[in-house]
Amino acid sequence: MPPSAEDCLASDSGKAPDAGWGELLAAAQQGDAAAYRLFLVSVTPFVHALVRQRFWHADGTEDVVQDVLLTVHRIRHTYEPGRPVKPWLAAITARRAIDAARRRGRIGAREVSDAITYETFADPEANKPHAGDTARALQRMTGALSPAQQEALELVKLKEMSLTEASAVSGQSVASLKVNIHRAMKKMRLLLSKDSSE
Amino acid sequence: MSRLDALIDALASDAQPVRPLRSPLKRALSWLIAVAALSGALIPAVADVGQLAARYSGREALMVVELSAMLATASLAILGAFFIAIPGRSRRWLLAPVAPFLAWLLLAGAGCFQLFASTGSTGGGVADSLDCLFFILLASLLLGAPLIWLLARARPLEPLPVALLGGLGTAALAAFMLQFFHPFAVTFVDLAVHVLAIALVVAASALLNRRALSAA
Repeated sequence: MPPSAEDCLASDSGKAPDAGWGELLAAAQQGDAAAYRLFLVSVTPFVHALVRQRFWHADGTEDVVQDVLLTVHRIRHTYEPGRPVKPWLAAITARRAIDAARRRGRIGAREVSDAITYETFADPEANKPHAGDTARALQRMTGALSPAQQEALELVKLKEMSLTEASAVSGQSVASLKVNIHRAMKKMRLLLSKDSSE
Repeated sequence: MSRLDALIDALASDAQPVRPLRSPLKRALSWLIAVAALSGALIPAVADVGQLAARYSGREALMVVELSAMLATASLAILGAFFIAIPGRSRRWLLAPVAPFLAWLLLAGAGCFQLFASTGSTGGGVADSLDCLFFILLASLLLGAPLIWLLARARPLEPLPVALLGGLGTAALAAFMLQFFHPFAVTFVDLAVHVLAIALVVAASALLNRRALSAA
């Protein structure tokens, strides 16, 4: 478990664990990559603790720590060798934590996150959830029709046959087909309006 | 390997040598001394210093204190700008120029009042004071350009306060220099134009802050 910010700051005097940080950072300023790596690794728990203290969103802590390390890299020339590292590092960390909190507040105020919007499946049809609802509703409505009405609707409206063709296939007269289609449509409209009102 | 470890490796592999900045005190003093040397050489050659003395004749103490307040405002603001550009330095530097600035305004106001009481003059039209406005703006620009370059080397995390102090410092220094070129005693209208010019410089610095100071 990394030390808390208070532990790190409290140990600023006396036998501070950052006694070597100043030397490491000074060596890093001279281009010593190993010293720089060691410096970054050793300050990370301190930065982590400070970020956790100032930035209350656990899921973003890692990003803020990374931002702090990037800032340290950009302005490492502003560290004055011989001076304590902690106030310098704490100021950078505090600034980046505040920036992250403000950014989060801004995004939260203006944007809405809807993760399911971006969820997709390998089968393109599965990405159309409303298509299934429509098919089920249509099936339920046609189930409520008489067999003659179902047949008339299927041949003329779904298979797009002419009335003469549908009459030849079904054995129903053209007039019966017209009546059955009319009644089927009327019944389905009624069922649909009932569904909507529910 | 976590993302953090990967980042540390990438940063360590990019550990190019960098030259650490000198202490903010040394950097600020270098700039102030350079400006003082340049002004010390130019002002006596170009300005009529005798006229300044004549203008404050009988009020020498006020002149010394007022000019000192201007210089203190400029110096403390410039010092503060260099200090707070560095992470971890005291934020109290933000307040450092406030007291001398208020003292300067009070003393200048008192001088204007004295003039009004003795001559009844509040000053001519604003047009008479426009030269002062342009002087302060131009001198601030000339002084501010190298100052911004020096401050930007620190890549301040919070550029706005740095820009505000830098703007106030250069404007106060420009107002100080103006005293050597001012052909008449400062009136209320004049003082208002000086304050307006300073406010314009500070506002322009604030607007330019992030871009001009290469914020980190």
